[in-house]
Amino acid sequence: MSAPVIDVRRVHRIYESAAGYVHALKGVSLTVARGEFLCIMGPSGSGKSTLMNLLGCLDTPTLGTYLLEGVDVSTLDDDELAELRATRLGFVFQSFNLLPRATVLRNVVLPLTYTDVPASERRGRAEQALAAVGLPQEFFDHRSNELSGGQMQRVAIARALVNDPAVILADEPTGNLDQATGQMVLRTFRGLREQGKTIVLITHDAEVASWADRTVHIRDGRLLTDEEERAAVAASSTRGRGRT
Amino acid sequence: MKARDLAYETFSALDANRGRSLLTVLGIVIGISAVIAMTALIGGVKQAMIGELGLNQARLVYIQCWYNRSMEVSDVEALEAEMADDYEYVTPLVWSGTDVISDTEKKSASIQGVWPSFFEATGVKLVSGRFFTEQESDTGALVTVLDQASVKNLFGNADAEVVGKTLRIAGAEYLICGVTESSGAGGSNPDYVQLYLPFSTCCSRVQGFTTVDQVYGFAREGSDMDAVAQRTTDWLARRFAVPEDERENAIWVYTMASTIEELNSMMMSFQVLMTSVASISLLVGGIGIMNMMLTNVTERIREIGLRKALGAKSRDITRQFLLESICLTMVGGLIGMALGYLGAFALSGLAGSLLGYGEGTALTPYLDLQSMLLVAGICVAIGVVFGYYPARRAARLDPVESLHYQ
Repeated sequence: MSAPVIDVRRVHRIYESAAGYVHALKGVSLTVARGEFLCIMGPSGSGKSTLMNLLGCLDTPTLGTYLLEGVDVSTLDDDELAELRATRLGFVFQSFNLLPRATVLRNVVLPLTYTDVPASERRGRAEQALAAVGLPQEFFDHRSNELSGGQMQRVAIARALVNDPAVILADEPTGNLDQATGQMVLRTFRGLREQGKTIVLITHDAEVASWADRTVHIRDGRLLTDEEERAAVAASSTRGRGRT
Repeated sequence: MKARDLAYETFSALDANRGRSLLTVLGIVIGISAVIAMTALIGGVKQAMIGELGLNQARLVYIQCWYNRSMEVSDVEALEAEMADDYEYVTPLVWSGTDVISDTEKKSASIQGVWPSFFEATGVKLVSGRFFTEQESDTGALVTVLDQASVKNLFGNADAEVVGKTLRIAGAEYLICGVTESSGAGGSNPDYVQLYLPFSTCCSRVQGFTTVDQVYGFAREGSDMDAVAQRTTDWLARRFAVPEDERENAIWVYTMASTIEELNSMMMSFQVLMTSVASISLLVGGIGIMNMMLTNVTERIREIGLRKALGAKSRDITRQFLLESICLTMVGGLIGMALGYLGAFALSGLAGSLLGYGEGTALTPYLDLQSMLLVAGICVAIGVVFGYYPARRAARLDPVESLHYQ
């Protein structure tokens, strides 16, 4: 078995905020194998977004190491991190984050403009990525704000795919979608998983998590085993009942 | 990020804010059009001066001296010989006047006795025939050169074939050997006639004495005209034994270059004034641009976060916003140049009459490439100066925070 795509070892992340220090991650260790579809599940405020930002090289750990494809991210400067994001990472956001007035194709091509992929290859790669997420060709030249939510999120997934990243990071990708559309988007991720893509998806929804190969739980900045998670859920629901 | 992608981003961003962008660049437009209008007008005046005077005029030195006696031909010859390093030639002029009789007319003429080198020094242009030769000049031949206006007044038609014909001047027959362009001095006065005669002929046959009224020195190319004038003054002071305190009254050495210089410096101070007014407008315009760019950055915080997440480096973001502000100022500059140039045309009639070029002779505004490039450079500089802070601010945004900015 090859080395893991993501190898996080005892990572801490401490913020300085107006209210004092916030210990958002407390010694998180996590590996993601190549071709795996991992779900990180946790309630809001659990530190899952912080973890996602670290995995996406948008942020660096206060303590601990993060190896992305064997490269220690903490040794890289801002430009090298940007380079890594441009070539090795793909992002899918809850709110899609498409450029509203730009066409679908332009949106998908955007990450390539920050790489050295020659201009002549870009369109082809964007079309391929759009085909992979199943968006019909007639939408390619539409402005992205003319699309439905499900279509927008598929465009966003295509954008995450276009640079052939080592891993696709999806932060609540179905959070702004209705049930049926969410299912379609999840099917798209599942399809990419079958094509051998590595996917890390963050959610608070167990139904969404059921699409993944493996789920880890995060609570108060710590990753929990399934038993610990069950115990924690039971405890919180007991407390909840006690209060009513 | 490649130049083409940058250009695309810039274009689409500006296109999205067309109305706001245009309003914002108004300050630049006004400032630049004021500068351009002024520069074009002054350029037009200079062009008109050069056209009117001829380039030779810049090398011409007018020399007169009177101290106990007038200048003589021998003085001119000595000056030419002794200051050969400074002058290509020195040539005398004597003014005279007498009646001139053609086949049909009899007019009173103003006569200038000159050496052949006079024509070259003053840049008088021939229309037909030739100037008189050194030999004719030396021997006092009976030849004459006249201008087209005089031809018209003597022969009824400015284009009449008169070379080879004769004129009767002071009782002798003179062969017309050449016709020059009209000097314009006489205007359309039908009694005006002006002739050139060889200097010696004029002295001996018309004037009756040999003093020189005016001397022209034609300086060597590239001379420092002020220095030449100074050396000439010194030379004359020695030759005429003029005491130090009499120099001002006795010696008159005057260069066209110094006139042009004076006019230039007058216009320069005018331009400096105008430019300082315009630069206030440019400053205000620049601040407007900065304001708009800051608004732009704030409006697009999420987009900036997204771009960073997708792999944009800080310098990609800096360049993108910097190029936007440069584009804004350049568009403003181009509009300003066009408006300013048109404005110069509108003002040229007024400026022409103010400068004494007369009613009908509106001058043509003139803009050289150098000033246009300078203005373009100023626009880019304003774009950089006032766009840098917003662009850096955009580039420094934290990707995590900006992605979740509401």
